[in-house]
Amino acid sequence: MALLARTAERLYWSARYLERAEDTARIIRSFHELAVDSQAEHLTRWEPLAAITGSALGNEPAPEANGPGNLDDAGERWVTWSLIADRENPSSLVNAVDRSRENLRVTREVMPREAWQVVNSLSQYVDRNCEAGSERQLRDRFLARVIDESRRFDGVIDSTMTRNAEYRLFRLGRLLERADMTTRLLGVRAATLLHDDADPRGLGLIDSEIQWMGVLRSVSALQMYQRATRSPISGRAVVRFLLYNEEFPRSVACCLGGLRDILDGLPRPEAVLDAVAAAESNLLDDTPLASDGAILDEAMDRIQNALAAVDHAVRETYVEVRSPVSTAAVRGTVQRQ
Amino acid sequence: MDELLTHDGVARDVAAPLVRRLKELGTEQLIERQRLAELDIQTMGITFTVYSDGQNIDRAWPFDIVPRVIAGEEWDFISAGLAQRLRAINQFINDLYNDQQIIADGVFPAHLLDASVNYRPQLRGVDPPFGVWAHISGTDLVRDDDGQMYVLEDNLRVPSGVSYVIENRGVAKRAFAELFSRQRIRPVDAYTGELKKLLASLAPGGAKEPQLAVLTPGIFNSAYFEHSFLAQRMGAELVEGADLFVGDDDCVYMRTIDGGTKVDVIYRRIDDLFLDPEVFNPDSMLGVPGLIRAWKAGNVGLANAPGAGVADDKVVYAWVPDIIRYYLGEEPLIPNVPTYRTMYDDERRFVLDNLGDLVIKPANESGGYGLVIGNRATRDELEQAAANIESDPRNWVAQPILDLSTVPTLIEGDLRPRHVDLRPFVLTGRTSYVTPGGLTRVALPEGSLVVNSSQGGGSKDTWIVDGVSNPDDSNASANGADSNKADRNNGGPSAGSNGGVL
Repeated sequence: MALLARTAERLYWSARYLERAEDTARIIRSFHELAVDSQAEHLTRWEPLAAITGSALGNEPAPEANGPGNLDDAGERWVTWSLIADRENPSSLVNAVDRSRENLRVTREVMPREAWQVVNSLSQYVDRNCEAGSERQLRDRFLARVIDESRRFDGVIDSTMTRNAEYRLFRLGRLLERADMTTRLLGVRAATLLHDDADPRGLGLIDSEIQWMGVLRSVSALQMYQRATRSPISGRAVVRFLLYNEEFPRSVACCLGGLRDILDGLPRPEAVLDAVAAAESNLLDDTPLASDGAILDEAMDRIQNALAAVDHAVRETYVEVRSPVSTAAVRGTVQRQ
Repeated sequence: MDELLTHDGVARDVAAPLVRRLKELGTEQLIERQRLAELDIQTMGITFTVYSDGQNIDRAWPFDIVPRVIAGEEWDFISAGLAQRLRAINQFINDLYNDQQIIADGVFPAHLLDASVNYRPQLRGVDPPFGVWAHISGTDLVRDDDGQMYVLEDNLRVPSGVSYVIENRGVAKRAFAELFSRQRIRPVDAYTGELKKLLASLAPGGAKEPQLAVLTPGIFNSAYFEHSFLAQRMGAELVEGADLFVGDDDCVYMRTIDGGTKVDVIYRRIDDLFLDPEVFNPDSMLGVPGLIRAWKAGNVGLANAPGAGVADDKVVYAWVPDIIRYYLGEEPLIPNVPTYRTMYDDERRFVLDNLGDLVIKPANESGGYGLVIGNRATRDELEQAAANIESDPRNWVAQPILDLSTVPTLIEGDLRPRHVDLRPFVLTGRTSYVTPGGLTRVALPEGSLVVNSSQGGGSKDTWIVDGVSNPDDSNASANGADSNKADRNNGGPSAGSNGGVL
C-alpha cells in the first residue's frame, strides 16, 4: 500500500527523536559514570556536554549557596537538568521523547500497537521522572530506563513489523540520527581535549584511557571494541573504531551502510544514495587526530554537514512531495507500478 | 413506553431472555459486568473527542451494558422503510440538481430551494453514478409513547456514530456472551464491508481494485476515532486535505513517497463548504483545490456527494412523505413526526394557538440551536417565539412534543428507565443496505431527552433478535393507519406528557 508523504515525515521524525533521546541518555550516562568515580571526578567537565545537542545552554542560574566547594555540583545539576528536563530546550530528552510520541500518535495505524505502547509509556515515565535526571543519586536508573525502552521499541518492530516502506522510513530516521549523535559524542570529546590543553594540570596517560573508556561505554561499545582491537585503549583507535568499523552497529560507517540497504527498498532513492556516498567518501578522506581537539572537532563538523545533506535529500525525496508535483512525473510513477 | 418492559413491568416477548438474565444476575453482578465493559473500552482505546476549556480531549466512549432489543420482524419493516426513504430522497436530490421536475409539477415549492443554505447551485447538471448523492445516511428514529416509530431527522452530510455501533457490539458480546450463544442476534460487523463495496462501485471507469481514501479534517475532529476506524477496517488510506492534490489531468492524487498515487474514491468526512476552496469557501485549509473539478469530470468518486445536505434541512424534512409518494408512488413505511410549516397560514395559526404543546425549530440551524420546547419555555420565550414566527414564517417548523421510549439503564447501581433514540445507518448505491439496529443513544439524567455524547449522553448496543414472535404489546409496526399521522392535514399534535425532542 502507498505510504503518504505526511506519514513518512512523521515516522522519520518520530525515529529521529527517539534515537536522540536514547543517545542523549547514553552520553549523559557516560559522563555520570566518570563523575561518580571519585578518582576521575576532576576530569569531569559538564559544560561540554551541552554541545552534544548542538544547543547553547540558557542562562545559568546563580549557584546554590552551599559553599564554594559545591560550585561544580551546581554546574552538574544545571547541565544535566537542562539536557534532560528543560522543556524550553528543544533538544532536551523530555522534549525528544515527547515529540517522538506525538509523531507516532498520529501514525498509529501503520505501526504495531505494542510499539506505540512502548513510546507512550516511556513518555509517561519521562514526564513523571525527568527531574530525577539531575539528581546524582537517581540519575543512572532514570537514564537506563530511557535507553532500555528505546531498545525495546526496536525489539518490537524488529520482530513484528513488516519490512514495508513505513518500516524503512523509521529505520532511516534511526540510523541517520545515530550516525549524527556518534559524531557529536566525538565532538564533545574534542571539546574536552581543547579544554584540557588550557588546563595546567594536563592529562596523564591513565586519565586519558579512563576518558576514552567512557566514550566507548556511552555507545555500549567497550566490550565490542576490546574484542575487535585487542590492544590498549587509545584515543586514535577509539576514534577509528567509532567512525570506520563496519561491523559495530553504532559506528558512523555502519550506520551509513545500513542507510544504503534501507534505501534500496524505497522508491527513487538515487538522490539520497548520492548524499550517503558523499558522506562516506567524506568520512574516508578524513582521518582526524584523536589527540588534537581542534582537528577532531573540525572533522566531526564536516561529517555532520555531510549527514545534514543526507537529511535534506531524504526530505526532498520523500516528504516535500507536498508542493504539487507535475502530473507528468506522477503519471510516470503510476505507470511503473 | 419502555422498550424492554410492558406498562405492568413484565418483559416483552422479544426481551424476555435478556430480562430474565438481568434478574438472575442481580445488581451486584451487573455492576461488575458494567465495570469490566468500561475497562474493555479503555484498553481497546474506544474514544471520542470533546472540545472543552480550549482543548480537545479524548474521552472514553460512554456505554451502558443493558442493550435495547428489537424484534427481527419489526426491524425488517423499519429497514424497508429506511431504504425506501433514502431511495426517494436521492431521486429528489438528483432532480433538484438536474431537471427540477418536482418543482415544475408543483409538488415542491421553488422558493424553498432558493432559501436553502445547503443547496449548491455550482453543482447543477452533475449526474453522479446511480443518481445517488447521499450514499451514507444516519437517520434518527424515535419511538413515541404509543409505540409508533418516527423518523426525527435525516443526516445526509457527514453522519457519524457507526464505528461505535460495531465497537459497542464487541463490548456487549463480552458482557453477555451467554445470551449471544442462546439467541439469534443479528451481527453488525458487515457494515464496513458493505461500505467498501459501495465506495468501490463509485470508482471511475469501474476500476477493479480502486484506491479508496477517507478524508478527515484531522486529529482534532470529534469523530477522528471513527475516521481512523473506518479507514483501517476498509484498508483505505486515511488522508487530510493537504495529502491530496488535483493534477492537470483533473485526477486526484495522494502525495505518497512514490511521488503520487491516484485516488479513485474519497469518503469525505469534511463539510461541503471546506471541500474545495476553488468552488466553496476560498479560505478553507482543510480541502483540496480542484476536487470538485475532478469529481465533475468523473475522475473521482465522492461520498457523500457535495450538496446532498439540501435534503436534510428541517423544512424540506416536512416534504419527505410527499417526496416518497412523488418519486416512488408508494406510501411512506415510516412516518415523519407531524410537522407544521408556519409558512402556510392554516398551519401557522394552529402553531401560534398551541405553542405550549409544541417544539419550535428553526429551519436552518443544527445541534438544537434556537429550539424552543413549549411546555418548558417561559412566557417570555414563547412570546419571542411567536414574534419570530410572525416576522419570518418561512424559517420555522413546529412538531408535537414526543414522549420518547425508555430502556432500563444502570444508574447508580439500579436499573432505571432512561429515554433513548436510535440512529441506523443506511447505504444507498446500486442497492441499499441498512445496519441491523444502529446506534442507540441514551439520556442519562432522569427525564432528560438530551442524548448527545458531547453533553453527557450514553450509548447502548442494539439487538435485532430473530426467532421470537412479534409481540402485540409492542404495537410497533407502522401500519397504514399510523403512517397517516404524518400527513400535514391530519389532526393536531399528540399530547406529550413529559418531554420534548431535542
